[in-house]
Amino acid sequence: MTKSNKSNISDALKDAGIEILTCLQCGTCSGSCPSGRYTGMITRKLVRMARVSTDVLHDPDLWMCTTCYTCQERCPREIKITDAILAIRAIAVHEGIMLPEHRKVSQLVLEHGHAVPINDAVKEKREHLGMEALPETVHKYPDALADVQTLLESCGFDKLVAGAQE
Amino acid sequence: MENEEPRIGVFVCECGVNIGGYLDTQAVADYALTLPNVVHTKVNKFTCADSGQAEIQAGIKEHNLNRVVVASCTPRTHEPTFRACCKEAGVNPYQFEFVNIRDQCSWIHMWDWEGATAKAKDLVRMGVARSRLLEPLDESSVPVDQNVLVIGAGVAGMQAAIDFGDMGYNVYLVEKGPSIGGRMARFDKVFPTNDCSICILGPKMVEVARNKNINIMSYSEVTDVDGFVGNFEVTVLHKPRYLDTDICTGCGACQEVCPVELPSEFNENFGIRKAIYIPFPQAVPMRAVLDKDNCIGCKACEKACEAGAIRYDQEPIYEKLKVGVITVAVGMDAFDPLPHNNYGYGLYDNVITTMEFERLLNAAGPTGGHVVRPSDAVEPITVGFINCVGSRDVNENIYCSGGVCCMFSIKNAQLLKEKRPETNHYIFYMDIRSTMRGFEEAYNRARDLGVKFIRGKPVEITEKENGNIVVRVEDTLKGEIVNVELDLLVLGTGLVPNEGISEMGSILKLPRSADGFLTELHPKLAPVDTTTDGVFVAGCAAGPRDIAYATAHGSATAGRATRLLSVGSAPIMGITARIDEDKCVVCGVCVDKCPYGVFEIVGTNGDRRINVVEALCKGCGTCVTACPTGALEQSHFKNDQVLAQVRNVFQYGGE
Repeated sequence: MTKSNKSNISDALKDAGIEILTCLQCGTCSGSCPSGRYTGMITRKLVRMARVSTDVLHDPDLWMCTTCYTCQERCPREIKITDAILAIRAIAVHEGIMLPEHRKVSQLVLEHGHAVPINDAVKEKREHLGMEALPETVHKYPDALADVQTLLESCGFDKLVAGAQE
Repeated sequence: MENEEPRIGVFVCECGVNIGGYLDTQAVADYALTLPNVVHTKVNKFTCADSGQAEIQAGIKEHNLNRVVVASCTPRTHEPTFRACCKEAGVNPYQFEFVNIRDQCSWIHMWDWEGATAKAKDLVRMGVARSRLLEPLDESSVPVDQNVLVIGAGVAGMQAAIDFGDMGYNVYLVEKGPSIGGRMARFDKVFPTNDCSICILGPKMVEVARNKNINIMSYSEVTDVDGFVGNFEVTVLHKPRYLDTDICTGCGACQEVCPVELPSEFNENFGIRKAIYIPFPQAVPMRAVLDKDNCIGCKACEKACEAGAIRYDQEPIYEKLKVGVITVAVGMDAFDPLPHNNYGYGLYDNVITTMEFERLLNAAGPTGGHVVRPSDAVEPITVGFINCVGSRDVNENIYCSGGVCCMFSIKNAQLLKEKRPETNHYIFYMDIRSTMRGFEEAYNRARDLGVKFIRGKPVEITEKENGNIVVRVEDTLKGEIVNVELDLLVLGTGLVPNEGISEMGSILKLPRSADGFLTELHPKLAPVDTTTDGVFVAGCAAGPRDIAYATAHGSATAGRATRLLSVGSAPIMGITARIDEDKCVVCGVCVDKCPYGVFEIVGTNGDRRINVVEALCKGCGTCVTACPTGALEQSHFKNDQVLAQVRNVFQYGGE
């Protein structure tokens, strides 16, 4: 049974050790949110939605959190807000819901072992600084990249992030 | 009767569906009838109701019962009821046994009918086993001294003292500060009707002073309480005022000439007082007090005092009092935002607390009633109030101060708006709790006056160069983050236990709850009683509450305590520690361990023995577990009685 079988988000969170039902809706999280200063994200609304319906899975704001943990640090009820957002994202991904940008980045990890793969400009700069063109990562060792891909495939990451852009 | 064959009746309560809905009460009763010595069982709809008690008494008569077991709820609320019921029908109340199948079965196993029923049978079996060995005990009584001690002379303590005094009892009213009046004396106006606080409190203070039965002991502290209900021995420390209060007229000439200026505590450290000072203009007693720690010894006051009252060589005096009952009304403190700099308090000049605002608003305060901001003494136009400061937050205090902070923010915004209509007011709140009579109307009045309510807990406070304060908050009803610029920010600090409460708790042996306030005997049915017989608690000592509530509680303690005073004697429970002198080696461990001072070593050399003062014993059992030779036993909780329960946990007759 995957988490996505849960019709009730707050129950799924409870299983993961995250209690959101004691939320006061005081807005400390939203007011503190640095991402919310630049995006439409209202953290408090995500917590509110998570306790009443599964609509939160489809809310693009879910993906605007930078996971800085300021809200979690300040919450007067010690609700693990950031952890909850991460857990809700996991449920959404299992439901096949993901923003195109996040899906693209995930696919890059699968393909290159890096969320931001190296490019020619960087290679050139490294050589200019007297370093090898490729760093000591999977970029340099294709066998290791194959290992990473095996790992990701064995936990189903490839299937989760594959498919059409939403 | 002791050697009589036990004839036990077991009564199983359904408590409506409270128990009956979650386990098989009839099966429990049928099982009980199979146990040795059980001669009668009955399932009652409500055992504690008149009909249920009648069924117990009928059972006693019909089956000649000499032991009764009731399987129902908790002894905390219902044991006295069933004991009285048994006593009335001729069974010794201590041969009644309580089995709790509500809290321990139906409540916590409400989804497990079989399991709850099986556990109820186990508990009943254990209860029956103990019941067989229970012995009849006698209750005794002690005389009650007709003097009363009231600790704390805030509005709750004053009301208690007045009521006791009016009923003709002699009252010692002990107050730590130099004047009676407490917190209420410092407020400007009080919600919900906005009457002037000192105008309604002042006459009450005078009433206390005028009452011939009240002996005000101001600037004094209770340092020790010994004894027991009806017979407390109290030690009171009279701190030196360094003047003869019989001669001092309270003229204030001393404070005129004193050269030492200090922050005024009464004015929340706004404004100054002198090293010798009159506490405040309406103080009772109207006497000066010399703060010796800050006195430079210039003796200017001595020269100025026409009455010649100054006594620099005064010493502390300890006085012993004997009283029958005690009211504890030690009050509260306001939450202190300084240590954590909550909302910039202590960092930014123009962030103040509500108690400070009260003094600024007060015509007798340091600014003559002009609310000014500390940075530049300018009268603010835009003022913000933050509610729940230090409250409803797991990082500070999780509890709510009972709507007190909601209401004083609403009141203060209203008062300033009425005084200076050009002002704007914001109240930042999470929920408004306007629960008591007249509170909602006050809330409405504030809205009507244009006070803006923003639902959200502010997260960031910044200071601008001109001293203005910017509050960042989510207006949660709009779902928008807003920044509000204010001239002055007032923190609605919650109520916290008085700093002296832990000491007072240990002096009087009163437990405190998780929130730090004193615990009442029962939160609903015995709200002013405590676990110490003869000691009652009033006002904010037992939790955050407003003035009306505190006053009512003050009166309530007088009422409860007068039950003992008017009868003149107090019942003493039959459950006490008993000593077997043949086994006792007079090691004295019990003397040290007993929290109530029951034991003392008497005699000398070969004749030494332990004297037991049964009236002091609360039946806590501490001494019994501490006794190394097994000489001490607790009546009603004797080893064989308790072990009988243990041996029957799994099956009847288990060894």
